[in-house]
Amino acid sequence: MKTKPGLLFLGLGLLLTLSCSKYPPSSERLLEDLAVITQYDTKIDFNNYHTFSMATSIVKITNRDTTNVSDATATAILDQISKNMEARGFVQAITPVVPDFGVQVVYFQNTTVYTYYYDWWGYYPFWYYYYPYYPVYYSSYTTGLANIELIDLKVVDPNKKQLYLRWNGYIRGLLTGDHTTAEILRCVDQAFIQTPQLKTTAN
Amino acid sequence: MKKIVSVIFLVFLTLGVVRAQEPTSAGYTPSSYYTFSWNTAFPIGNFHDWVSQPGPAGFDFGGRYLIRNGLTAGFNIGWQRVAKIYDNETFTIPDKGIAVTARNYRFTWMVPFQAVIAYHFIPQKVVSPYIGLGIGGDYMEHHLMIQEYDIYKTRWDFSLTPEIGILARFGAFSDWGAILAFNYKWTTNRIDLYEEESRDLQMLNIKVGIALTIR
Repeated sequence: MKTKPGLLFLGLGLLLTLSCSKYPPSSERLLEDLAVITQYDTKIDFNNYHTFSMATSIVKITNRDTTNVSDATATAILDQISKNMEARGFVQAITPVVPDFGVQVVYFQNTTVYTYYYDWWGYYPFWYYYYPYYPVYYSSYTTGLANIELIDLKVVDPNKKQLYLRWNGYIRGLLTGDHTTAEILRCVDQAFIQTPQLKTTAN
Repeated sequence: MKKIVSVIFLVFLTLGVVRAQEPTSAGYTPSSYYTFSWNTAFPIGNFHDWVSQPGPAGFDFGGRYLIRNGLTAGFNIGWQRVAKIYDNETFTIPDKGIAVTARNYRFTWMVPFQAVIAYHFIPQKVVSPYIGLGIGGDYMEHHLMIQEYDIYKTRWDFSLTPEIGILARFGAFSDWGAILAFNYKWTTNRIDLYEEESRDLQMLNIKVGIALTIR
């Protein structure tokens, strides 16, 4: 009879042990997949905008320097963004027409920028100078981040020399795994898919 | 999971039938008993929206003291976790215009603590069914992990837990036994880490454990 409590204890202990699965550590989680994070300015009506202009290269910012990248991957990403913009009713501006939106991609290497849950939607310094002041969290992980930015060139405050950022899409985790160009392009599409508000009917 | 619970349930029933053959005039009514149980939680309602699968990671420790005529009072404390991994899940925060698509790990772990009143219909019998009500609270931590980030909130709550169960001793004079219980738990806890706030978290629990009775 004494063996029954012992066996039950043993059984309960085994069940408890088996049931307590662990989550992978943060460093492993980071390796797993890309995250797509988007935010748009909820105060504007995209129907008031019609044209856009694409940057011809991707701005790459590392801890050491800032360079422009225009290799095959960069071109593919920029093309994919153009396709998505056109699918949403926007039209590429032809010089000398001043576009309503300027679109650029900034790629961070070794960055620690993270903007999930930030409340602030403020002014944006001149977009070709440097990256804006977002509230950030810092981490010790090395990761890559591509940021697609939609900058308002229609509403400009010349006195403050500032432009407004109306939408951005982050593709995060680029440096940590073997992510193909196809995967990155899928993430570009996903950034648009999860922002159905980004469309225009203006002519 | 269902298979494990079914097997344990069958073994338990068999045990009860075998013991039911013993003379019932013999034996004793426990003055108190203590239980240690393996607990599986099944989130329901809003809680199910957060984590949509049962959590077998949990245990419960309880004590009951006979007041009179089968009426007992006591306590329960425990630990429980429910968790699920969502691949390529998109969630939004509409008022801020934010959308996030990523693999996300969601889990909630909790420490329930309750005062319990239970009534045993036939406390002197080897197999003793009961009904009870637990009143108390929980400490809960809700975690949403995306890549290396762990976004979480901690909350205390008030909880109510009606329960039915069976206490079965291994023999008429045995101090040891087993417990099988099923309960519904309602709490005032909530989760607001994603677009839909989950309120009044509820769950069903199955407890299977060992009991030590005191004469």
